Amino acid sequence: MVHPLHESAAVSGIGETAYTRGTPKSALTLQLEASLAAIADAGIDPRDIDGVIPYFPGGAIAEDFIANLGLRDLALSAFIPMGGATCVAAVQMAAMAVATGVCKHVLISVGRTGYSGARVSTRLQQFPVFAQAAEFEAPIGMFAPAQLYAQGARRHMELYGTTARQFAEVAVTTRQHAILNGNVVMNKPLTVEEHHASRMISDPFRLFDCSLESDGGAAVIVSASDRARDLKKPLVTIMGAAEGHPDSPASIAQRPDILEFGLVKSAPRAFAMAGVGPKDIDFAQIYDCFTFTVIRQLEILGFCKTGEGGPFVMDGRIGLGGELPINTHGGLLSQGHVVGLNHVIELTRQLRGEAGRAQVKDAEVGLVTGYGDMGDGSIAILRRAA
Amino acid sequence: MSAATTAAPPPVPERPLPVPTRESQPFWDGMREGRFMLQHCAQCSKVRHYPRPVCPHCFSMECTWKEAPLGGAIHAWTVCHHPFSFFFKASVPYIVALVDMDAGVRVNAQIKGMAEADLAIGQRVKLAFEPVNKEVTLPFFVAG
Repeated sequence: MVHPLHESAAVSGIGETAYTRGTPKSALTLQLEASLAAIADAGIDPRDIDGVIPYFPGGAIAEDFIANLGLRDLALSAFIPMGGATCVAAVQMAAMAVATGVCKHVLISVGRTGYSGARVSTRLQQFPVFAQAAEFEAPIGMFAPAQLYAQGARRHMELYGTTARQFAEVAVTTRQHAILNGNVVMNKPLTVEEHHASRMISDPFRLFDCSLESDGGAAVIVSASDRARDLKKPLVTIMGAAEGHPDSPASIAQRPDILEFGLVKSAPRAFAMAGVGPKDIDFAQIYDCFTFTVIRQLEILGFCKTGEGGPFVMDGRIGLGGELPINTHGGLLSQGHVVGLNHVIELTRQLRGEAGRAQVKDAEVGLVTGYGDMGDGSIAILRRAA
Repeated sequence: MSAATTAAPPPVPERPLPVPTRESQPFWDGMREGRFMLQHCAQCSKVRHYPRPVCPHCFSMECTWKEAPLGGAIHAWTVCHHPFSFFFKASVPYIVALVDMDAGVRVNAQIKGMAEADLAIGQRVKLAFEPVNKEVTLPFFVAG
């Protein structure tokens, strides 16, 4: 039986600001700017938005959208506190809202002053999930994501022989893609040698294994497919979407397998809803808070077996023209950190054929993941339907 | 000397310290006494950590606290070079090991007196106690 959510919703509008390091704009202004761009892209009136899911915690609440966009009858407002998994989980929630008729057009938005505002160790304190780590791990010097996720990366290296060279391949390939995009923070080529020479942050993560602290805004509009078909841009439908939470969700330390993310649970559900498998995926936008996080998610998604993610990313396989192009916009590693909503935008752009110099040839089906909040994992699989 | 000409001393960075909850207080009381106390279900006896109100196996809300052995084996580790908090600036690089305790839970703590080259999955270590102030004692590991 076809899942009721299968292709009943579509990504109808996408918008983003310039990605920079330094801005005089607030996180609120950035996400309103991106939201207006997404609304214009969809070709609807701002007042047609009747659902909003702003990134939490991120400088905007539903009331801001009513006040600024003149929304007349907001039917759904929600926060999804899943860290880096928030934006793609929001795609599932928005799809549910428009598929059931609760909403017509749901706006998902992120505004972030990660460079010019508070830095990661400060921001993290605002996350509800952080309470346990704050009590048991921050006092011994473990509190930043680069530290909390490093132990899993080290264990993967010890168990499977994964190497820094393979981490570097993710960083270098992602940078090559960023340069083709143009709206990116990092626009100079990166070599494997430069990756290896960059300073150690939390072993095994070097500086160039870590995502950017940047400023910018991004927004996406999700509409019912039958409504989106009549809008301005080619129809890109949501074949499947899911969120997943790992066991011991607030503590990686106590998780039975520290390399099991929420994606272990959400990916099979999303593939089943989509009616496709890994072999049907033409390209993917994988949440890349760290290089290793991409490698491990490729294993969980079934593109290769556990332990084979390192070799999988080598030999041009994840570059443009390769078997599975990854993060064709430059990702969080090189484009900018808007919590992965830029990954949803790039996925949509590719499926519309609007990706310019980074266009994947014959892009028909692609997937996007979100990862965060100690390992929550979300996924959406989209298709060019027009 | 006017206040305007007196340079303020640089702020002393404060160590992030645990704020015990009603559920976790017995753990921190134990640490202060040099005892590694763990929460067990009063009904099915299973151990759980970090402390929480309900046993996820049998849903009992009754628990008992028992002293646990200090030995364990390294599960994973990281070497922290970048101090994300100013307090740790003086101590980088430091090793944080995630340890499978013999009692059946994990503890994350710094390793002292061992070189990075000596670390391996399965390496035996022993939990030790570092009093930070009269309320708080934190765990660390030494070679076991």
